[in-house]
Amino acid sequence: MEINTIEIFLVIRYIFFVYAITTIGSYIVLAIISATETIAYMKKNSFVNYKEILSSTIAPSISIIAPAYNESLNIIENVRSLLSNHYVNYDVIIVNDGSKDDSLEKLIKAYDLIKVDFLVNEQIPTKPLRAGIFKSTNPAFEKLIVVDKENGGKADALNTGLNLSNNKYVACIDVDCLLLEEALQKMVKPFLESTDTKVIAAGGVIRIANSCIIKDGKLIDVNLPKKMLEKGQILEYIRAFLLGRMAWSRLNGLLVISGAFGMFDKKIAIEVGGYDTKTVGEDMEIIVRMRGFMEEQKEKYKVAYIPDPLCWTEAPDNYKIFISQRNRWTRGTIETLRKHRKIGFNRKYRSMGLLSYPYWLFFERLAPLIEVLGLLYFGILVALKQVRWDYTAAFIIMAYLFTVLFSIVAILSEELTYHQYKKKGIGFNLLKIAFLEPFAVHPFIVYSAVVGNIDYYFNKKKKWGEMTRKGMTNTEKK
Amino acid sequence: MNNEQSFFEYLQNSPPIIELVWLMISIFLLSIFISIIYLKYLRSHLRNNERIRGTYQMKYELNLITYLYSGNEDQEISPQQQIIINKLKKDLSDPFKRSIIVLTLLKLKNEISGELDESIQKLYFQTGLINFAISKLRSKKWYVVAKGVRELTQFHIKEVHDEVITLINHPKNEVRKEMQLYLVNLFSFKGLDFLDLLQTPLSEWDQIQLLEVLQRFDDQQVFDIKPWLKSSNDTVVIFALKLADIYIQFQAKEDLIELLAHKNEKIRIELLNVLGNLNIIVAKSIVMSNFSECSQEEQIAFFKMMEKMPESDDEPFLLEYIHHENFEIKLSALKNLKMINSSTFNIHKHLGTDPDFIRIVEFLEHN
Repeated sequence: MEINTIEIFLVIRYIFFVYAITTIGSYIVLAIISATETIAYMKKNSFVNYKEILSSTIAPSISIIAPAYNESLNIIENVRSLLSNHYVNYDVIIVNDGSKDDSLEKLIKAYDLIKVDFLVNEQIPTKPLRAGIFKSTNPAFEKLIVVDKENGGKADALNTGLNLSNNKYVACIDVDCLLLEEALQKMVKPFLESTDTKVIAAGGVIRIANSCIIKDGKLIDVNLPKKMLEKGQILEYIRAFLLGRMAWSRLNGLLVISGAFGMFDKKIAIEVGGYDTKTVGEDMEIIVRMRGFMEEQKEKYKVAYIPDPLCWTEAPDNYKIFISQRNRWTRGTIETLRKHRKIGFNRKYRSMGLLSYPYWLFFERLAPLIEVLGLLYFGILVALKQVRWDYTAAFIIMAYLFTVLFSIVAILSEELTYHQYKKKGIGFNLLKIAFLEPFAVHPFIVYSAVVGNIDYYFNKKKKWGEMTRKGMTNTEKK
Repeated sequence: MNNEQSFFEYLQNSPPIIELVWLMISIFLLSIFISIIYLKYLRSHLRNNERIRGTYQMKYELNLITYLYSGNEDQEISPQQQIIINKLKKDLSDPFKRSIIVLTLLKLKNEISGELDESIQKLYFQTGLINFAISKLRSKKWYVVAKGVRELTQFHIKEVHDEVITLINHPKNEVRKEMQLYLVNLFSFKGLDFLDLLQTPLSEWDQIQLLEVLQRFDDQQVFDIKPWLKSSNDTVVIFALKLADIYIQFQAKEDLIELLAHKNEKIRIELLNVLGNLNIIVAKSIVMSNFSECSQEEQIAFFKMMEKMPESDDEPFLLEYIHHENFEIKLSALKNLKMINSSTFNIHKHLGTDPDFIRIVEFLEHN
């Protein structure tokens, strides 16, 4: 080979190496920050009495906004679960987003709903109402408001809820999520505690409820599912929520709050124009926009994060749905980063522009692409017989061991803090997943991300994928 | 051995980058090995802890119940009680057991009342548990101090008031919060005196907790909030406004009106709500004279205040705002107008073309 070609190969090799080392370094730093922050959080909240706030009629009012689309199968139980929260001042706004099934009829029948005259301040444009707004004639369900509107997607449904809410705070959640009893008061705490910084949003940990026992809207028993894909996602969520987001929260650099459960200062959410209906990553986009807005206003603000396991949800249990979900997440990330590209590397946006945005760009947005490029490059080297197999083996072992180690640290963090998986044998099972997940789940994540990129650039019409839910209400162990 | 030697030779002959990679592999391997062992230990430790905790809790519960029901009528400690005290004292040196004893005592304390409650209180002193709680107040770790104050609150230990009050401006909010809850829980409204000295902010979360505690007392005696309305600490002023609202402090009317000129917008907004609830009508004309200089949030708060005390004299003012660009102001102005003079409302309801105006009118006509 010519000397120039060799030099180019060498440079590419070093680029990959530097990228890998930076990734490892950033994960280690995030893990350390996260550990410190988690310990501080645990100390701070170990003796807080949430019951005092829970029963207080002077506690601020909160609206839970839950969009529903073709959720007929479990809608009654899901709404009942949302209504059984122990917080006093709250209402539940179910936005039936043009469902084609009999969700509305079921709700009307189960909760004695009647159509009501409801004056809505349409601060955010949304799709028009279909059957209208309903409230219950039964005082037991007085907190429930059901809105039936034309289909406009999740973001549009959430915007309808924002318009409808008369409360200071809104909790936007997926209707099928299971909220623990203390969820609302734990989420609202950072908003009320802060005196010198405005808390604009708060996000919580999402845990996977597959195979858990849930009865009458309550989590009875935590189990580990049997399928590798579900188990892999459990580990992935623990890693992301306990190690990643906790650290970003410490750095006040959180760019995303899970769409499954997040709380917002309604005034700011409306001021920025609500959720963007043109993106599939509306949960990330609204946070980036709210943060950008606060930076531009030069106001001191914070996006808070609650590491307690407050919200449990159903994760995809088959690869088709899983790939479709991750594909959408990828497109959402690309859309948000592209839409707000002026923030990136911009000193005006301080840590958001100089730290969070570049991190998301290099280690979230580009990571799967760089991984694929690495594989292609490796293929070329093999074809050109330029591979030193002993070196290759060393690099692969290093990367693999780091992944395993990072997962084990996440498991340890979970054990030291919330210890949700108490049953004997689960520890060994989690360890097994830590070793197997890089082969059984990670390749599908990379594949989905690559397809997501292709769809984003070449298949613009693609929107949300379908998520077939099995339902987690009254799940009994078999 | 040969393999080992060849591996080290291989490493020595490798480029530094490969040496680094193998170094990292060794570190990761070792860390994984240690983590797995620790995880195994941790999980069994946590499980055992839970089991042992349950066993001890049951044991202490039995001991404590026996203690409660084996007292003498002459209030002296019976021999059986003394045995239990000695047993508990012996276990107190172990922090793990001590925490279970405290928890069990608290659990029982919350379930009983009257003489039995007094017995538990007595036991808290007799076992020397109080000394452990007091010693926590001197800890350098803030969370230990906070836990100590909380325990003293839960066991109603009024005797340490002077020591607890020194924490009033502690740098950690959690400690300050516990100190405030201690004072209010144990000394009711008198406990609020700390507000005179408070320099640090009182968060909304703290305020709600304090108000909740105050509402539990049977004796809701009148107290003077005026000094707090004049506080240089804005959060104290907001808290005083909440007190004025909940405890209908009409006698502070003059001081409340003075606050209309306060520099903090949050205070002015909260104040408008309180003035409305207390029906202090004179405030209306003061705000009206200065209305255009108010922020939009204040204007909205003012209209909400007007809804609480409608007067026919407001009509000209309301008519100025029924076509206001802000939805809430427009709604409030039309609502008020309908309340005080439906015929004027009926005349003006046809004079708007803006869709929001039409929707509001339609809504008000049907509701």
